[in-house]
Amino acid sequence: MNRTLHVDPRDSSPIWRQIEEGVRRLVASGALQPGGLVPSVRDLASELRVNPATVAKAYQRLTEAEVLTVRRGEGTFVSQSPPPFEGREKSRSLHEGALRYASLATTLGATSEETVSELKGVLQSFKKNRIGGAS
Amino acid sequence: MIGVNAQEVPATGTALAVEGLGVQYGRATALDGVSLNLPKGSVYALLGRNGAGKSSLVRCVLGQQKPTSGGVTLFGADAWKSRTAAMTRIGVVPEEPNAPPEMTAVQLARFCSRLYSRWDQTAFEQRLARFEVPTSVPFGRLSKGQKGLVQLSLALAPAPELLILDDPTLGLDAVARTVFFEELVGELADRGTTVFLTTHDLSGVEGIADRVGILKDGKLALDESMETLKSRFRRIRYANEVTEERTEFGKELDPFFALKVKVRGWGVEAVVNNYDDPLFERFQRTEGVVDAEAAAMSLEEIFLAVAGEPKGVRP
Repeated sequence: MNRTLHVDPRDSSPIWRQIEEGVRRLVASGALQPGGLVPSVRDLASELRVNPATVAKAYQRLTEAEVLTVRRGEGTFVSQSPPPFEGREKSRSLHEGALRYASLATTLGATSEETVSELKGVLQSFKKNRIGGAS
Repeated sequence: MIGVNAQEVPATGTALAVEGLGVQYGRATALDGVSLNLPKGSVYALLGRNGAGKSSLVRCVLGQQKPTSGGVTLFGADAWKSRTAAMTRIGVVPEEPNAPPEMTAVQLARFCSRLYSRWDQTAFEQRLARFEVPTSVPFGRLSKGQKGLVQLSLALAPAPELLILDDPTLGLDAVARTVFFEELVGELADRGTTVFLTTHDLSGVEGIADRVGILKDGKLALDESMETLKSRFRRIRYANEVTEERTEFGKELDPFFALKVKVRGWGVEAVVNNYDDPLFERFQRTEGVVDAEAAAMSLEEIFLAVAGEPKGVRP
């Protein structure tokens, strides 16, 4: 997990949120399997060189959202059936991603049609390769 | 099994409180009415340019300097009056290594251990081994990085409740810095130690400190959580579009408190300290404002914007 979970303290998004969303992404993409062990707060904090309280906050939120499960004395695991991204968080993440893509398209001078068709093309290729949960 | 002790046993109370602290050297004012609080378990980074008053503040905290006005309390007791008692609960990494140069790390540890009621010699030796610091070489002949790591090991050995680090990574190379911060993170995870540090290494503490203070000309120009600080500062860039109705510019930034405004060939760049999303969305719709973007700022950039300005600017 540590190899693919990155945080950037310079990002405008708080570090606990970056960790929370990073873990959700890894779970959604299947990189973290249901029932799989995730690193301890101490290990992940050392790895990312961030305050352990920040990692603990992200883990706590993920546990409350039933993405992670804590088994006393054993460690923290991915839940057997982690819920998909939902509600406000999902729409906020979508909106942020859309903003980034739209800014890039505008900078490159792409038309709306080009921008939308490119996006559709990528979604199509994802579907073919069975990435992501959308059917 | 999350392993953060601070979380299992919620820390309460204040480890360090600075109240209206003033220090005068003759006519020169080093500190002027500085107040700040460190709840137990917090990690506070004090920033400031050279001469801003950091060293005076640290000396007051360590009970080495008598304040001209106000004071410092450590665990509820006055730092100046009850220095000896407080020091047994505190680990210090000084700015300049101050250990006797002829003693080896192990001899230093034996010497220091007598001053504390608790002393974990095993943990000390394990740290030295992890840091790959030779135990038989006199302190004076160690490299700068090794000296820093020995000081950290000595500071951690009595399992302090409060760790005071005075620019601990100054002069350390990239490897030693990394080792230093990893060890510090481990200590936070294992013991939830409260940390007060001054530093010039802003990228190093960016992910670790949860509260930031910036000293400027002896006053605390800013004192708040890292998260709030980073959410309210942005660098805004935009181009001006000259239209028939609109030929003058400058008013569009009014809703923001702009610390710095630079007019460049392509448009305007401003550092603002009261950013929020709705405000920026309205700004983007202002007539004549095109291609507006708001970029997050690193702690270093925020520091430069706040501490680099002349007197009288509200940070």
